[in-house]
Amino acid sequence: MTTTRLVTVQAAYEDFLQRSLSRLSCDFARLIYLASTRDYNTGTYHHDGLASRFSPEVAAKALEIAHRQIFLQLSAYSLEQLVEQLRIYFESSHDGTGEILRMWQKLEPYRVAIPVEVNPAVARLFLSNVRLALAIWRSRQDQSLQGR
Amino acid sequence: MIGITFAIFMCSAVILSLALLATRGSSVQRELAFRTDLPPYDESLGHPSLCPPEFAARIFSPIDSTFVAAEKSRELVRLFHHERRVVALVWIHQTKTAIHRIMREHTRATRQSADLNLLTEAKLLSHYVQLVAVCDLLILAIQATGPARVGTLASYAASLSQSFADAQHALAITNTARDLRGASPAH
Repeated sequence: MTTTRLVTVQAAYEDFLQRSLSRLSCDFARLIYLASTRDYNTGTYHHDGLASRFSPEVAAKALEIAHRQIFLQLSAYSLEQLVEQLRIYFESSHDGTGEILRMWQKLEPYRVAIPVEVNPAVARLFLSNVRLALAIWRSRQDQSLQGR
Repeated sequence: MIGITFAIFMCSAVILSLALLATRGSSVQRELAFRTDLPPYDESLGHPSLCPPEFAARIFSPIDSTFVAAEKSRELVRLFHHERRVVALVWIHQTKTAIHRIMREHTRATRQSADLNLLTEAKLLSHYVQLVAVCDLLILAIQATGPARVGTLASYAASLSQSFADAQHALAITNTARDLRGASPAH
């Protein structure tokens, strides 16, 4: 990769952080958003706004880097921090926490949020931590229902 | 007489431990293939790399265990121990696969090298044997006590495997440079 291209990708990455990612409520929301910019069939990333300001290739590379960065950041979180991330994410959603919890435990949609080419042990740690954080949420909900 | 009995006892203990480790090693691989939602790294698909040390520290950290215990749910604690145990085993499997690959690559490179430093080679080999033994010991310890209690040994294995990879990498660069110098025409 040439220096000019690297500088452009860096600029696109910073632009995306500033314009889009910083507006989201938490790192977990950022991860889900970034994963949604990736095509399920081809694995390539796309974002209209970023592609029009830079180029589709540069935008795709910047999105890929941002996705990996946020994924690694979340994977390094403690379970307590991850539970807090889920709380913010659920509260920012328009659907009820109970319903989201039920679906997330059943369908495990967060599995598609893992970037390609990521270290297998880190990927497994992330999946395991999210599963545990959801179980903690469910347990807290059950306890508060029993307390009523 | 006591000496011979003791020697026989020690030999039996060593043989039994080795047999146990061998059985455990293959059963761990089978168990991981069955119980993890991501397959253990398939060497045929690419180069397995070492897990970054900060994540190894996270896997074996007791902080999460304390947090889960404070939730006062036996079911959660059970789930946590199960999940962390599997992740720890994935980490060891990956580390072992990576060091085996590094050693294989090194062996291949040394076969082609005309100028070997025996002392360096011996050091690297002892490093490798030590790492494999530590990983096998970790497998047994995790199965017996869980990952939170073997954090020190795991961080030792993580730093040892990283320095092993670095040493092999440095050696490979030196050998390549020397071979290139040897191949270039004299001025």
